[in-house]
Amino acid sequence: MAAGRRLALAGLALLASITAGVAHGPTALSLATVLSVLVHPTSHLASVIVWQIRMPRVMAAALVGAGLAASGVAMQALLRNPLADPYIVGASAGAGLGAVLTATVVGALVPAGAFVGALVAVAATYAVARSRGQVQTLTLILAGYALGIMLAAVQTFILLLHQHSLATVFSWEAGSIHGMTWTPVGLAALLILPAALLLVPLTPAMNALLLGDEAASHLGVHVSRLQLLLLALASVMTAAAVYLSGLIGFVGLVIPHVVRRLTTADHRQLLPLAILWGAAFLILADTLSESVPGVGTVPVGLLTAVLGGPYFLWLLVRTQRQGVVF
Amino acid sequence: MKLSVDGVARRHAPGFQLGPLSVAVDRGEWLGIVGPNGAGKTTLLRIMAGTEPPDVGRVRYDERALAQMGPVARSHARAVVPQRLTLPFDLSVASVVELGRLSHLPWGERLLPLASAERILVEACLEQTDTWGLRDRSFRTLSGGEQQRVLLAMALAQGAPLLLLDEPTASLDPGHARQFLELVGTLVADGHTVVMAHHDLTTVAQACSSVLLLADGQVEAYGGVDEVFQPEPLSGVYRTPLGVMPHPVTGRPLVFHRQ
Repeated sequence: MAAGRRLALAGLALLASITAGVAHGPTALSLATVLSVLVHPTSHLASVIVWQIRMPRVMAAALVGAGLAASGVAMQALLRNPLADPYIVGASAGAGLGAVLTATVVGALVPAGAFVGALVAVAATYAVARSRGQVQTLTLILAGYALGIMLAAVQTFILLLHQHSLATVFSWEAGSIHGMTWTPVGLAALLILPAALLLVPLTPAMNALLLGDEAASHLGVHVSRLQLLLLALASVMTAAAVYLSGLIGFVGLVIPHVVRRLTTADHRQLLPLAILWGAAFLILADTLSESVPGVGTVPVGLLTAVLGGPYFLWLLVRTQRQGVVF
Repeated sequence: MKLSVDGVARRHAPGFQLGPLSVAVDRGEWLGIVGPNGAGKTTLLRIMAGTEPPDVGRVRYDERALAQMGPVARSHARAVVPQRLTLPFDLSVASVVELGRLSHLPWGERLLPLASAERILVEACLEQTDTWGLRDRSFRTLSGGEQQRVLLAMALAQGAPLLLLDEPTASLDPGHARQFLELVGTLVADGHTVVMAHHDLTTVAQACSSVLLLADGQVEAYGGVDEVFQPEPLSGVYRTPLGVMPHPVTGRPLVFHRQ
């Protein structure tokens, strides 16, 4: 399939999932009503439900899905590692500690604490792994791992001292977009959208990076600068996603893989496709997580794993049978 | 382009130092670097490529100091064919070879399919290296020898006047090895400058115009093929009795084991 058709298909999927997301909810609204208030907002209840309750939530899911997928594409290219995800260099542990610190010490501002924690942890990992202007990708992974374990230990210790905060932190860690308003969505959009756009001109150099740092530099890529840019942009998107939704796993690891397997590893196509499919997937997962039969609302982070996991395993088995190497 | 290495030395982990040594390779010359495992061949190539800076001394491309050149200027001046590359994901052979053009394209064009002049150039590189038929395959599914030819195609696509080759024919069958060396030979005749690290002494003797023999990071012999390829120093450096006789067809040195 040509690049344009793939993009158009992904764009349509995103539009369809946005429509499904705003049409579905505890208050029954007909599709005609939803479409009419989407085009002409009024002061009626239906319009308020669509624009003030459902739309912020759908946009938050879209931003988180797009941001995590783009961040995953960048991290997998930077680390040349299929196991890399947005959280691999310490972002999740940093966000967790930031959330716990704000929950226990301040008693509020948990998302902001998580945002700052994620960025500080990635910066610390980068500072440790950098020597003589260069970053060895394996050192970056190992430093991120070690730092993650240390931060998690501190987090557990603080939680043990403040057990009343356990419920807040636990529900935050499960990842949820419940009760979203426009203000945090707008803030996150100001970070995620420009970062994703800035990644686009880097995609040809990301292809070169797949050959290795040295080969990329032989081809004229300024490798240390590219590494820093990719890490910074990916971390800003991850931190903003964490700020909106807590720790939603799976999307950042698997959406890039699924898109790569079904289309191409060429980052010029992979990045925009992963952004669109990541957004569409998370909107759909979040919509379904609203009303799980017999349970009610569950954290969307659980649903992404339950929905996406089996599909990814099936895709692995199928492409393995076709003789494609992982 | 003339490659000059002046008084370059590089200390690695305790107990090994390359150089100090000086080498010059002019346009239309093909220098072979030979020596036992761990002699410093790859380190010297990396210093020549600018991948690794020397502790002392300097490398120049014509009159420009390599240390003063940015990554793009370097990529226009020299191309490197590594021993091997591993890719974490499936990129097609054509995409890999197209990466050779990356630093020549303005930012806007890098995001689009190649313009026709560029595409013709890339296709010529695929044809020259006998990889045209592999262009839609994933690089990762190729054999070692096929990958080596694709890497040469990528280096050719860079259009650089200096080529640095690290064991380029190590995994090629005799037919493709000869084809590879003949192709490099025509580039040298066209005025390219080539440096090749290699283990096969007879291949170096047939192909190269001059030879640098390294052992333990030091120069044991440096000069024309006939000067360097003598029973001594070869036997001493490789710690095995080696003999040299004229090749029955080319008349150039043919190295053999005396036992």
